Amino acid sequence: MPLAFLAVLLPTLFWDRPVETADLLRNAGIERLFVPTGQEQVWRKQGFAASPFDRARAAQAVAPKVEYHMDVASATRVPWVDANGWRFEREPARSFFYDAPAGSAALAAAEAFAYGVDAAIRAAPEDLAPFARMLKFLSEIDQPRLPVMANIGVIDDGSDTMAEVLNLLTRHNLLFHPTPAADAKYDLNIRLGTTEYPQEEAANPYEFAMKIRHQLTDEKRLVRIFGSNVVLARLTGDASQVRVYLLNYGKATVKGLRVRVLGSFEHGKLWAYEHPHAALEDESMQDDAAEFTIPEMATHAVVDLRR
Amino acid sequence: MHRRKFLQMTAAASAALAATDRKVPKYRVVSHYQPATQPGMPGPYPGQVASVHAEKCIDEATERPDPACVREMMTRGMRALTGDADVRDAWARFVTPSDVVGIKVNCSGAPGIMSSPVVVAETVRNLVAVGVKPDGIWIYERFQDQVDSVHYDRYLPEGVHVWTAETRRGSTESYDPATYVETAFFDEDDTRSNLIRLVGNRFTKIVNVPNMKDHGAAGVTGCLKNIAYGSFSNVARSHSGSVTNTYSFIGKLASVEPLRSRTVLQVMDGLRGVWHGGPFSPNRKFRFYPKRMLFGTDPVAVDRLLLDIIDDKRKAEHAVSVWDRSAKHLNAAGDHDNNPNVNQFVREPGHIEYAASLGLGTYDLDKIKVKSIEV
Repeated sequence: MPLAFLAVLLPTLFWDRPVETADLLRNAGIERLFVPTGQEQVWRKQGFAASPFDRARAAQAVAPKVEYHMDVASATRVPWVDANGWRFEREPARSFFYDAPAGSAALAAAEAFAYGVDAAIRAAPEDLAPFARMLKFLSEIDQPRLPVMANIGVIDDGSDTMAEVLNLLTRHNLLFHPTPAADAKYDLNIRLGTTEYPQEEAANPYEFAMKIRHQLTDEKRLVRIFGSNVVLARLTGDASQVRVYLLNYGKATVKGLRVRVLGSFEHGKLWAYEHPHAALEDESMQDDAAEFTIPEMATHAVVDLRR
Repeated sequence: MHRRKFLQMTAAASAALAATDRKVPKYRVVSHYQPATQPGMPGPYPGQVASVHAEKCIDEATERPDPACVREMMTRGMRALTGDADVRDAWARFVTPSDVVGIKVNCSGAPGIMSSPVVVAETVRNLVAVGVKPDGIWIYERFQDQVDSVHYDRYLPEGVHVWTAETRRGSTESYDPATYVETAFFDEDDTRSNLIRLVGNRFTKIVNVPNMKDHGAAGVTGCLKNIAYGSFSNVARSHSGSVTNTYSFIGKLASVEPLRSRTVLQVMDGLRGVWHGGPFSPNRKFRFYPKRMLFGTDPVAVDRLLLDIIDDKRKAEHAVSVWDRSAKHLNAAGDHDNNPNVNQFVREPGHIEYAASLGLGTYDLDKIKVKSIEV
C-alpha cells in the first residue's frame, strides 16, 4: 500500500484530551493520531489509528509564527519569524513535538512536511479543521523525497552560536545544508573558528548571515522571494526536477508572491493550500533563472519545476 | 506597442554629483519599454513653469476650495504654459481622445491634505472636454485606506475610475513583475520595487497632481516624489534609522520607462500645503495656504520652485531649513511630528538636483522661466 506508507510521513496530531472529545476529531476528519503512552487502546476502540507518543523524548519545535516588534520604529523593520527549519536541517532524523497554540497548527504541519521530518503536533480544538485540511492537502502532493538543494554547506559544530547562525540563514532564505566536511558542490562552505569565519563574528548572527549573503551574492542564490518578508523557502531536487516548498509565517494571505529559482525550467505546477484552482502567473526566464508569481498564497504552497 | 527588452546598470552618479558625500547605490533597472521619441519628462516645456496665485482659491478657516476660482487658475495656468488662447487647445497638446489617462494623485496626508478633489475634478473636466472618455480616466494612488478618506467619486463624472494598487498594504498583485528597480539599501530581503501594472499596460498618458509638502526624508515632496514613490511598490525600504536613500532613488524610479515617457503634465496643487511633518498631516498647525498652483512638464523645475516655497515658510516659522543635515537636529526616535526643529532623517532635498542629472529637467533657478499670474 504505497499511499499508506507515504501517509506515515505526514505530520500527526497529538491529542491528550479526554476520549469524550472523539467527535471533535471525527467531525474534523482526523483518523490518525498520537496519544500519551497508555491511552492508545481506548482511542483505538473509538476507531482511531492511535499510536503512543512520548513528547518528553522528542525535540521541541517552537510554535511557528511572526512577531511584529511595533516598538521598533523603522520603515524597513523586518518582523521576527519563529521558524524551525534550521532545527530540522540540523537533526533531520529526530522526532519533533509542537505545542501549537490556536492558529498555528496548520502551519506547523506544513513546516514539518516541507522539511520531511517526523512531527507530532498538539493542536487547539479550534485548529482541528484547518489542520485536517492541511493534512489532506499534503497527502495529495506527497511524493518520494528529493535531495535537499542548498547554496551553503555548513560544518556544524553543534554550538548555540552556530544555532543562531543557522536560524538567521533560514530566516533570510539563504539555503544551507549540514555537511561533515567542505564540499565543492556548495557555493560556500562555512566552518566557525576559521580565519574566514571567526567565532567572534558569529556573535552577531545577523551580520554574520549578511556576510555570507554578500559572499554568495544574490545572483547565485537558488531561490529568492519578492513581495513578502515572512515567506520562507526550501528546495529539493535532482537532475530532472526541483520542488519548491513555500511557507507563509504571517496570518494574511500573500497576494502576488514572486519567486525566482536559479536554473532553466519548463512550465511549473503549483499546489496552493486553500486555493485548489490557483496556477502560476507571469512565468518567465531571466538571467538563467525561472520566475513566477503565486497569485494567492495562504499558509503553504508547493511548486514543481521540470528542467 | 513595439517592445524591446533592455537592461540598464547604473553604477554611479554623474560626475557633477560625484563630489557630494552621498553614496548612490547600484541600481538595476529592468524594463521592456522603450522611451518615447520625446519623453513626457521633461517634455516640451523644459525649464518652464506657470505659477498661478489666487487669494480666494481656498477658505483658510474651513479649508474649502472655491471651484470657480480653481477653474480660473487652471485655465490661466495651462494657457500660460502652452501659449494657447483656448484652454482646450492647451490640454489637447498633451492628450488625445483615444488616450487612457492616469491621474496620479497624492493622498498620503489625507484627509488633512491631498490632491484636492476640486483640482482633480477640474483636471478630469478638461480631459473630457478634449474628448477623453470618462472610462478612459483613472485616478490612481497606492493605498486604498488613504484614498477612501477623500471620496473623489463624489466629485467625478460617472465612469471615471478611482483605483488603488494596494487594497491591503503590502499586496503586490497590482505591480508588474517584469518592470522594476532592484537594489539592496539595507540588506533587505525584498530588493525589488515594481511599477504599477496599469502604468505599462493601460495608461497611455499620466497627469501628475502632487501637493506642496515638506517631507521628513526627501526634504520636500512634489512632482518627482509623487510620481516615483507613488507608482512603485516596496519603496519605504529606502529609509532606515536616520538614513534615507531618497536622494537617488526618487530620480531613478521617475526615470524608468514607461513612467518617464507617459507622464506628460505636472499640475501642482498648492491650495494648501504642509511645512512640517510631511508627507503626512495629522497636525493642522503645520498646514499653510500658499494658494498657488504650478503647471509644467518639467518636474525638476516645478520641484525647484517648491523647495523655496517650503523652505521660506520654514524660515518664517523659525524652523530649521530642509537643507539642515546637522546631528544636533537629528533624532529618529524624537518628537519630529510635533517639533519642527527635530528631523527624523537626514533630509535629502538634493534629490531634485540629482533627478536633473538623470535628464528629468532643469534645476538651475537662473535657467527656469517662470510665468507668474495673479487671479
